[in-house]
Amino acid sequence: MKKWLLFLALSLGLAAAQTVGNEPPPDLPPQVFEIAKKLRCPVCRGESAAESSAGVTEEMRRQIAEMLAAGKSEDEIIQYFVDRYTEWILYEPPKRGLGLLVWMAPVIGLSLFGFGLLSYLRAAARRAAELEGVSDEELARAESELDSGAREEAP
Amino acid sequence: MRTFLGVLLALAIGALLWWGMQTKDERSELPSALAGRPAPGFDLELLPSSRASWGDRLDLSDFLGKKPIILNFWASWCYPACYEEAPVLETAWRRYRDRVMFVGVNTQDEIDKAEKFVSRFNLTFPNVYDPRGKVGIDYGMYGVPETFAISADGRVLGRHAGSIDAGKLDSMIREVLP
Repeated sequence: MKKWLLFLALSLGLAAAQTVGNEPPPDLPPQVFEIAKKLRCPVCRGESAAESSAGVTEEMRRQIAEMLAAGKSEDEIIQYFVDRYTEWILYEPPKRGLGLLVWMAPVIGLSLFGFGLLSYLRAAARRAAELEGVSDEELARAESELDSGAREEAP
Repeated sequence: MRTFLGVLLALAIGALLWWGMQTKDERSELPSALAGRPAPGFDLELLPSSRASWGDRLDLSDFLGKKPIILNFWASWCYPACYEEAPVLETAWRRYRDRVMFVGVNTQDEIDKAEKFVSRFNLTFPNVYDPRGKVGIDYGMYGVPETFAISADGRVLGRHAGSIDAGKLDSMIREVLP
């Protein structure tokens, strides 16, 4: 019985630990994390301000919460950070200028790949069609030319 | 023509890969959003070691627009970068203190550890305590250490991310001196 109780306690503890890691801390509303997701962590690589545990992102989330409580809109809050960090702070590049190129890169890459593949397939089809179009007469002449060439080379 | 296009495409992909694999610290190359703009003010509690000479609090607006300022963000946990630059900052402060104000912003630290740092390097310029790191965000700081040069008319002229050496600090000071 004791073993079962211990097992149950451990299982519940593990489950609790897993949910704690995936949920926002209770003192900040989920909206804070929704906005923080759109901002980069200034001291990390490839992490948003929502998922990072760096001290600066904790303060960013706290400031977002304070601004929300003061009635600021999401756009105003994001602009507050852009004013301080430039557009570098945006987790997703803006869809204009160089940022637009980043967004378009996969489409451009796929188009180039499609174009290359299509060109290759067309060329292959053309070669096959050319072979199919060879008449029996031409084949017989080519074979005789090959035969005569082989006879000349023979000692 | 087709071979030429193929080579061009291979070169472009190679260049893109090479660019992506560069691991240089991009923070030091990012311009400050504040460049040329008025420096944000703050009014913060001073570290206990600074209080005998500077009072309980430091309001940056008391100096903004009156004197050039070198503003340095640091923390005792920032090793080795902050430890490397601390003697450089103290030496420059002693040399230029009549003409340039130096202010240290201790960021997201504990007072005891910050005090140990100050006493280890015998820092005599004023150091404010910012446990939340709020001022760092106001300055668009990417991480400690970071140093900002503020002109005599109160505008941010330059920013250096990472440990600052004597040469760089000297050039920042010369830039802000009237």
